[in-house]
Amino acid sequence: MSSSPGTRPSSGSIIAWIVAIAVLVGLGALLILNGPQVVASFFPPEPKTAQGHAILDLYTIVFAIAAAIFFLVEGLIVWTVLRYRRKPGDDELPPQTHGHNLAEVIWTVVPTIIVFFLFFVSWQTLNNVEAHAPKPDLLVKAVAGQFQWSFQYLPADAPPDAKPLFTVTAPVGPDGGLTLPAGKTTHLYLSSPDVIHAFYVPQFLFKRDVIPGVVNQFDLTLDASDAGQTFRGQCAELCGTGHRIMLFEVHALAPTEFDTWYQGKLTEAAASPTPAPSGGAPASGGPPAGPALDLVAQNVKFDKSDLSTAADAPFTIHFDNRDAGINHDVDILDAGGAKVFDGKDFPGPAVQDYGAGPLKAGTYKFECSIHPALMFGTLTVQ
Amino acid sequence: MATTALTPAASAYRSGLYEWLTTTDHKKIGILYVVNSFIFFFLGGILALGIRTELAIPGVQFVDGEVYNQLFTMHGTTMIFLFIIPMLVGFGNYVVPLQIGAPDMAFPRINALSFWMLPLGGILLFLGFITGGAASAGWTSYAPLSEDRTLASVGSGQDLWIMGLTLIGTSSILGGINFLVTIFKMRAPGLTLFRMPILVWTVLVTSILQVLATPVLTSALIMLFIDRNYGGHFFDPATGGTAILWQNIFWFYSHPAVYIMVLPAMGMISEILPVFSRKPLFGYKAFVFATAGIGALGFSVWAHHMFTTGLVFLPFFSLMTFLIAVPTGVKMFNWIFTLWRGKLTFSTPLLFAVGFLSMFLLGGINGAFSAAVPVDFALQDTYWVVAHLHYVLFGGSVFGVFAGVYYWFPKMTGRMLDEGLGKLQFVMIFIGFNLTFFPMHQLGLAGMPRRIADYASNAGWNDLNLAATIGGFLIAASMIPFLWNVFISRRNGKIAGDDPWQANTLEWATSSPPPPYNFDHLPEIRSERPLFDLRHRGTGH
Repeated sequence: MSSSPGTRPSSGSIIAWIVAIAVLVGLGALLILNGPQVVASFFPPEPKTAQGHAILDLYTIVFAIAAAIFFLVEGLIVWTVLRYRRKPGDDELPPQTHGHNLAEVIWTVVPTIIVFFLFFVSWQTLNNVEAHAPKPDLLVKAVAGQFQWSFQYLPADAPPDAKPLFTVTAPVGPDGGLTLPAGKTTHLYLSSPDVIHAFYVPQFLFKRDVIPGVVNQFDLTLDASDAGQTFRGQCAELCGTGHRIMLFEVHALAPTEFDTWYQGKLTEAAASPTPAPSGGAPASGGPPAGPALDLVAQNVKFDKSDLSTAADAPFTIHFDNRDAGINHDVDILDAGGAKVFDGKDFPGPAVQDYGAGPLKAGTYKFECSIHPALMFGTLTVQ
Repeated sequence: MATTALTPAASAYRSGLYEWLTTTDHKKIGILYVVNSFIFFFLGGILALGIRTELAIPGVQFVDGEVYNQLFTMHGTTMIFLFIIPMLVGFGNYVVPLQIGAPDMAFPRINALSFWMLPLGGILLFLGFITGGAASAGWTSYAPLSEDRTLASVGSGQDLWIMGLTLIGTSSILGGINFLVTIFKMRAPGLTLFRMPILVWTVLVTSILQVLATPVLTSALIMLFIDRNYGGHFFDPATGGTAILWQNIFWFYSHPAVYIMVLPAMGMISEILPVFSRKPLFGYKAFVFATAGIGALGFSVWAHHMFTTGLVFLPFFSLMTFLIAVPTGVKMFNWIFTLWRGKLTFSTPLLFAVGFLSMFLLGGINGAFSAAVPVDFALQDTYWVVAHLHYVLFGGSVFGVFAGVYYWFPKMTGRMLDEGLGKLQFVMIFIGFNLTFFPMHQLGLAGMPRRIADYASNAGWNDLNLAATIGGFLIAASMIPFLWNVFISRRNGKIAGDDPWQANTLEWATSSPPPPYNFDHLPEIRSERPLFDLRHRGTGH
């Protein structure tokens, strides 16, 4: 009894007050200096889809209830802690309350009612967000592979494995990404050839996993006011070494502009026949011969964007794949997009000499057939 | 007070390394658990500093791709399987037999076996770093990323991860059985179930979870091992398997594992709050039922980790997840009303316990956002989830662990930890923790995904990431006063005596540290506070 630690002057109370005051001053200063921005940082971005608006409404309800409960209970903790400190020298026992049945009932029943309410409002929103329009205006299949997005535009009512009308292979940039009509409903299929990825656009407040062996689908209705805007998207499920570079863009076009773009793509696709899948392409190249061109692949990038070699002579591509466990290759495409050399892909770290050529003089494109959007360059043959 | 004047002959403890390696004494094994867990806590912390250093500013400065993925995979795995779970088992090991008046655990040699599997499992996990790369598919190791070498750069590290976790899981199952038998069969006369300290109750429920859920994880691990090495097709859709099956099995263990990681910490808090407010725990029975309720509901919410897969029945798992807030709320109110009208002594254990209350509250409330399925569509796999899980596991469990260290260190060593250094550590870790993890809520809302080594400098995430990194280093710095405190107090700390805190439970009725057989004499047990009864001769009851 004599060694009671409570008889010492209570430095704890001083610390408690300092911490409480520091926190209040800090938060107060932040709010005064930067109020609206601080408040906005506790909310998701301004939604750009009909589904996103529904989710934001639900978020706001949950946030309001959560904030009320948080301040109530946290306030209760802080107040109790500051109010009921033991005075130095006070050895009397406080009243020994063992419990209170009515109190237990109240703080069981009231939270139960609150969570049932939250459950029902989120269920309603869920039905809204998950609803599929009977006649979507557009049907697109987003394909996510390590570490690249591509977007296949499908005919109306087509199943997920239907032959696409045309495919956008570049995930970002003015010629790439997912281009959609503003104010209209797009039905998306999601498909992955390798591991699990996730389709995530922060401004849509939405993500959905892209799972190999499964076709996930959802509706996306861009706001009519979005026309002309571009939204940043990103893979949200860990998919390997290149996870962080798996970016894509969503372009919202006014319906008339979208139609022009869409018709242009259709004409383009009709003009050039669909390229054969890479497995069926003629493997070219013989044993390594001629001058060697050094090319390094690292972090899903080539180290060079320009190569050059002599016309009508064989040459060797000394290809150093430094990405452990990731397959890369080098293909050479002529101006019309036809494959004139098809290197076989292999996982790094490893080095391979591709024997290529001879090629006629001209400008060619070289790329990694697995990551064409991230790994490409120009081969000048003269 | 307690009758422990007769200290047994010191020769009962054989001295030296040999004794520590071969001991079957639950107290020594408990201390081994705690020390081993702290070693892995510091290793996991170093990995976390690697993550935070890379993310401090945009651009890739130190680690990228494969190495970065190894950092967060091993950080998560280490903190969960080699720090929090074994740390709480360690406290259980030390305290539970004492609190129920038993001389040891029911199976002392199995107890030693369960402990020694842990450092072995840990070594296997970390061996990956020198055999070509540790596991890098995340602590969740989702298939098919974790399946074979062409999909991800996972060398032998992933196989070592599987083997290490299988050992750790086996340790957990054995430990769970040992606790159950000990608690059911070895309680002192008079210690009925409803007089057991709350820590014993939480260890009881945790043990049930371990025994029921861990074998499920083990089966998943073995299937993954077969897939990787012997051409099995459980999880690889390319060969007829089901990718999502891994997630279902993995989370069927790993969600209850969250309660394995937090229930005993709740138990420790429930021991500390009454002692330092000089009142009994408010609503003892409600607390027991809430613990059991969390344990039971814990088995029906695993798929809330999978809302965005589109492959689970969302309303059921949403409702169950919301409902688990109810027993958790009951606990929170009971804790607060234990303090209410008490006479609070702010020693370091109570500081950490109140830290637990105020931070775990936020970790519980921000969990409700993810239970609202459509909101989870926005938040899943962003930094919001990282914030949430750290408010539960760091703001909750880790604060609980430090409360426990400051509370039971006198019992374990016979000496008090220094209060000044303890308070300094608390202030540093409390500020560091909030500076690290609070901004992650905002980062997640703004759309920053987890598990990326870099982000665009124009994404608007720079300031918050820098704040989080500074906070991370402050947490690391808070370990300096802690380690110094342990180092000096172990030899020169104030002599604790049997019962320095005027506590309630039986471990304080014996000497500090207790003799190998624990008790010379037990007080009569007529309530959940036998020492209080002894001290006050039944007044106030």
